[in-house]
Amino acid sequence: MPTHTPHYPDLLFPATRRLRRWEGVLMEKLEGHGYQELRPSLVLREPVEERSICFFDGDHLVALRWDFTVALARMLVRRFPEPPRRISYAGDVFRRTAQPWEPVEHFEVGCEHIHLDPAERREVDLELAKLIMSLPAVLGFKGGILALGHAALLRRPMEAESLPRALASRLVWALDRRSLHRAAEALEGHPAAPRLLAHAETLLAEPDGEASLAALGQSPYAALLEEERAHLQRVLVNLTPLLPEHLTLRLDLADVKGMDYYTGPTLRLWAPGAQHELAAGGRYDGLFPELGRPWYAAGFCVRLTRLLDLAETRPELFETL
Amino acid sequence: MSILIALPKGRIADEMMPMLAGTPLALDAKAMKSRVLRIPTATPDVEALLLKGRDLPRYVAAGVAVLGVVGSDTLDECEVDLLELADLKLGACRLSLCAPAGVDLAALRLRPHLRIATKYVRMTRAWLRAQDLTAELVPLQSSVELAPILGLADAIVDLVQTGGTLKAHRLKEIEVIGRTSARLVAARGAYLSEPGRVAPLAKLLISTLSRA
Repeated sequence: MPTHTPHYPDLLFPATRRLRRWEGVLMEKLEGHGYQELRPSLVLREPVEERSICFFDGDHLVALRWDFTVALARMLVRRFPEPPRRISYAGDVFRRTAQPWEPVEHFEVGCEHIHLDPAERREVDLELAKLIMSLPAVLGFKGGILALGHAALLRRPMEAESLPRALASRLVWALDRRSLHRAAEALEGHPAAPRLLAHAETLLAEPDGEASLAALGQSPYAALLEEERAHLQRVLVNLTPLLPEHLTLRLDLADVKGMDYYTGPTLRLWAPGAQHELAAGGRYDGLFPELGRPWYAAGFCVRLTRLLDLAETRPELFETL
Repeated sequence: MSILIALPKGRIADEMMPMLAGTPLALDAKAMKSRVLRIPTATPDVEALLLKGRDLPRYVAAGVAVLGVVGSDTLDECEVDLLELADLKLGACRLSLCAPAGVDLAALRLRPHLRIATKYVRMTRAWLRAQDLTAELVPLQSSVELAPILGLADAIVDLVQTGGTLKAHRLKEIEVIGRTSARLVAARGAYLSEPGRVAPLAKLLISTLSRA
């Protein structure tokens, strides 16, 4: 799909007011829960990511900040021997998206919880889930769907079958498109194809809570994924009574977006009819060990650019604007 | 607000339209005879958009239409983020490397400067990479079969259904590089954020249009 110029939007008065207000209420909410703001530089000198906007500063190739979590992780590792437990951020990142007509500049607010003890994971995940559940009320939209997934549901079977990297990428791509036939094409001729396809079919079955978890118990990898299944079961039991009015919790076992990054449970907040999730997050315990620190982390990001779009195109989804 | 389904014009439509007749998604006959491109269906609040294949993915990916039917050849040539819910197996074709009679793949490999004309640049490029072959791609939008005859290219990569057009131009299919068929696609946002509204319609389309 050819586009000749990237999309750099200007914000006019109403959008600017909304952006300022949403940033304010979100940061206030996070501060109230003990999150302290950090702001990594807008210009990054680290090796440049494929989707980033980069340019030469003299002889040095640099990139505009393309992701807060990555920028913060590098900053934390450089500057802190022990991680601050709760951090928040607000600002813009610049990256090209899957849809070429979407803007390159993205306004975001988010938070991260970093801890040293793996036993804290359950408690931290619950804290973050509660925060995401409070977002519709904080941002003033009428309702939504909170989709719960788990990155290990596909990752662990692929690792167990020692799938080569390129094949694993094709399988993840197929599942991200919710496409069983593409998964079958990718796995054609592989000895583990029947098992992996049966598992993919389970993941792609329509999400419906307990029944999805029961089906997962019949997957060829049920024994391997027992811990993850129990975890999802616990999360459903813990979160369902806490759900605010007009927010629905739904299992989405085929959520594999960001699977090279997420290692555990994931949450995505949708407004009905929105083209993109409004907030997304999860556990990414692999990030800090890759940078040489044995820290565990989870967090989420609110995508204010998408909220601004929604405010323009679907104002009826908001209580107030 | 109406739900819009994007349907293709052309080859896939010829197979698909009779299958929709008499179903809840049958297109309004009167509107079909007019020049309008937004057609009511037998289900109130569900309308069909009739679009050219290459434009269709964007309508769906942008969420204008929540569902669509499009050839996998078109999908594989464009980079858009959408869900691909089912292979409907309609309009099945081979994507093949074709050359003038008497020329085989080994002969093409020996060409110092191989030129391949095609409408399917991305898929051809991927196949060339997998084959460790280097070639100049000549992008053409139509009448690709003329290119080898008139010396514009040594071979072509094109869709082959019956082989009749190839035969008429004295071309031969020398390598099948892929298979294509119609796919049911969905807007990611609509499908994931309004499952109760979109999933039943997707199921209905699959049961109506799937050619096992």
